[in-house]
Amino acid sequence: MPATPPTLDTADNLDMLEGDEQVVHHVSQQEKRRKQRDTGGDAMQLNLTSMIDVVFQLLIYFVVTASFTIGEGVITAKLPSGPGTPQQSKQPPERPLEIILNTGGDIGTEYRVSIKGLAGQPRSFTELSDTLIQLQYDPQRGLNGAYKPDNPVIIKPDVSVRWQHVVNAFNAAVRARYSNVSFAQAGAEEQ
Amino acid sequence: MSKVHKKGPTSPAMNMTPMIDVVFQLLVFFMLVNNIISEEAVQMIVPDLENPKTRELGEENRITVNVAPQSYDPVRQIGDLNIPGEAATVKVGLEVFELDDMEGVTEALKDAKSRNENIEVLLRADSGLFYDEVQPIMQAITSAGIVKVNLVAYLPENKR
Repeated sequence: MPATPPTLDTADNLDMLEGDEQVVHHVSQQEKRRKQRDTGGDAMQLNLTSMIDVVFQLLIYFVVTASFTIGEGVITAKLPSGPGTPQQSKQPPERPLEIILNTGGDIGTEYRVSIKGLAGQPRSFTELSDTLIQLQYDPQRGLNGAYKPDNPVIIKPDVSVRWQHVVNAFNAAVRARYSNVSFAQAGAEEQ
Repeated sequence: MSKVHKKGPTSPAMNMTPMIDVVFQLLVFFMLVNNIISEEAVQMIVPDLENPKTRELGEENRITVNVAPQSYDPVRQIGDLNIPGEAATVKVGLEVFELDDMEGVTEALKDAKSRNENIEVLLRADSGLFYDEVQPIMQAITSAGIVKVNLVAYLPENKR
């Protein structure tokens, strides 16, 4: 039915208007009922605002305090043998390869690495690894050095060498495929 | 027309339900993540190696020995070693020991070993610590009858 402006007051239009109103009334009743069914009525609706406030506060707290760690891995090492420790092997079968770490330059920040009894000394841990590979004897990889892969390698760091350099030296030896790498006591070189 | 008018006031109300769902999911995620991280690991910067040969280790059969630096500086960059090189505390699993209590560290590790024979020890020390601070702890681990230890460093893909 076309909507008629209610300003006309002829009998016909009045009739139509009344009919229209009835229809409108009917529809709004239906709608009201449907709304009540859908939402349970206006009076029953939950007020979620305060809960959302609290939840957001919690969320922000946990987001801010969450700290994600960077992926860490491990390299397996043999420990320095000190007093009262179980003796693993009676005596080292070969002459051990000794890597000596010293501090150089500014205290603690620089390092000096050297292999005992070698002429050309490495300047970095990458070079140390390359030198160690050259010293190795492994026919399968075409290496003709004097040391077998299971030859003991001992890392002898000075007292105030940073842990990073110690692990770096260890990593270099492991990367050069030496299987028997161990640590000496701190400052063992001076004694 | 009147239909539209009657509907008008109710339609702008937002439906909050999906948003609340998402927010709760996020909330639960961050709560859980937070707890997992703070359980065993002390905050520190572990060594950052040249061409690292580090490998990942499974979650099982392991105990972490943390050698904490004097203070953790959140703005410190990886590779920065310019910190006081002295250690502060040693944390074995969830137990914290003072530096002069190496017997305690040994006992804790002996305990752990008696409970699980295949236990692997992770030695997690800050990259800036001096060797003579870490070495007594290595010795304490040896005294517990453990010969091999896993040194913790960053994995290759995290190199900057």
